[in-house]
Amino acid sequence: MSKIMTVDILSSIKGAQPSEAVNKLFDVIKNAQPTNNNSFNNNRNHCLSINDLREDEVIESSTTEKQIIIENFPKEKKGYLVVSKIIEE
Amino acid sequence: MESQIHKIHQQLVNKDITCVALVSEKLNALKANTHNTVNSTLDDLALNLAAKVDSKITNGETIGLLEGIPFGIKDVYMLQGTTTTASSDLLKNYKSAYTATAIQKLLDAGAIPVVKENCDSFGHGSSSENTIFGAVKNAINPELVGGGSSGGSAVNVAKDYTVFSIGGDTGGSVRQPAGYNHVYGLKPTYGRISRYGLMAYASSTDCVGPIAKSVEDIRIILNVMSGKDVKDQTTYASAEINADSISDTSEIKSVGYFKNFIESDAIDPKIKADFLSTIEKIKAKGIEVKELDFFQSDILVSTYYTLAMAETASNLSRLDGSNYGNRIEDKNLKESYAVTRSENFSEETKRRIVGGNQVLSQGFSDEIYLKSLALRDAISENFEEDFKDVDIILSPVTPSTPPEIGNSLKDPHAMYLSDAYTVGFSLGQLPTLTVPQGTETGLQITAAKTNDELVLKFANFLKDTI
Repeated sequence: MSKIMTVDILSSIKGAQPSEAVNKLFDVIKNAQPTNNNSFNNNRNHCLSINDLREDEVIESSTTEKQIIIENFPKEKKGYLVVSKIIEE
Repeated sequence: MESQIHKIHQQLVNKDITCVALVSEKLNALKANTHNTVNSTLDDLALNLAAKVDSKITNGETIGLLEGIPFGIKDVYMLQGTTTTASSDLLKNYKSAYTATAIQKLLDAGAIPVVKENCDSFGHGSSSENTIFGAVKNAINPELVGGGSSGGSAVNVAKDYTVFSIGGDTGGSVRQPAGYNHVYGLKPTYGRISRYGLMAYASSTDCVGPIAKSVEDIRIILNVMSGKDVKDQTTYASAEINADSISDTSEIKSVGYFKNFIESDAIDPKIKADFLSTIEKIKAKGIEVKELDFFQSDILVSTYYTLAMAETASNLSRLDGSNYGNRIEDKNLKESYAVTRSENFSEETKRRIVGGNQVLSQGFSDEIYLKSLALRDAISENFEEDFKDVDIILSPVTPSTPPEIGNSLKDPHAMYLSDAYTVGFSLGQLPTLTVPQGTETGLQITAAKTNDELVLKFANFLKDTI
């Protein structure tokens, strides 16, 4: 797996190129001097308590919700939902 | 006490107006409006709900304060059975399967949604021009932008097309359009209101934010929407804010402002002068005012956009046309994904996704992404230190007045820099309110994390002071 992933592949956007406007923002970060530059000493991680989770139980979606999810599916054929062809590389 | 909600509630209770007439009037005004604020109106839903409110009143039943009050929803919130487009081609026919927690709470309180409002596509913009529904025009001068990304919401409130609207604020998207259209707009403390059902832009700063014409209305809506939600693990339980407690402003002793924001070359001279004159009026009331040091604007903007782009690249990766959205078929799955995304995302959205994938990719992440996280920590630490010294931080909302329609998208970098005064408070996850006073684009009032009450208190103080 030595293949280099370019931004167009990473983004799944044809012909995508880094933009000058955005690179200017990144240059500021490269040149910045944070007072706390040790990211492993990060004490403000947005951690969440795992003691406060909802019950691990299946909650059935409503019929309306299921119906809308099916309605949103882009393509249907003879009652089946159609996905794109997958070809292994 | 000024409040549009209380006023309309009284009119409904006194039978001065019927709810159906009120809702019809708003729907008609929304449809006839030329400011491009509407993505879709919710006629059937709204009129059915209004008829129910009328029959309750006719039967002599008591109605709640929000019952029958028409409101708008930025088109990035799920409301079951309505289209939620994010102002994008990709989701232009997407129907919400469920309802966002914040919106459900308003529905439970009896408020009536009348419109899904125009905004920058996926929240990507500061002018509400990045939309398939046409640029939102400013409420005061239609040659100018409505601000963004919640531009349609702010204009609707300013023009009285809705009594209040629910916007979304990731880096200033409620506060800036509120400032541009002379209304109130609150970004609450991150986590005070559940984000469940708000289409994710940058999850670590996304906030649900009310826009209204008075502090009291902001308080009412905030109370209804706040609270812990099992569907959003970042939410926290908060106490209700009472009307009485925010009218007593005696506890505010000191106010700070960032010297470098005001001394910057980029600030409009009139905004600067007006801001400093506000500071003098506050001093004259016996409040101590301190000048504070803060990070340079370019650091704030770059830190915010680096993290926001990384998060949006990740959040929007699910939009590939396979389960929903405007799928464009091609020779195989990968090509279908790529063509669907290339054709359906706007240039600005693509720019942000590509930027996000750049910073998250190997070789870049240490140098840019992790460094931005460290900078964000330093910014938060700076705020924590500041709030040991002052109760409130006051700031202009924007360095300049609203640009003319057509200019912002030509120079994305200039558009990013125009967010200089709003993004810092987003990174700090602090409660910040735009008030339509003090400068042409208003003022931002910020307090320490979870102290949203103090923000509203100071807004009441300013109303009487300037």
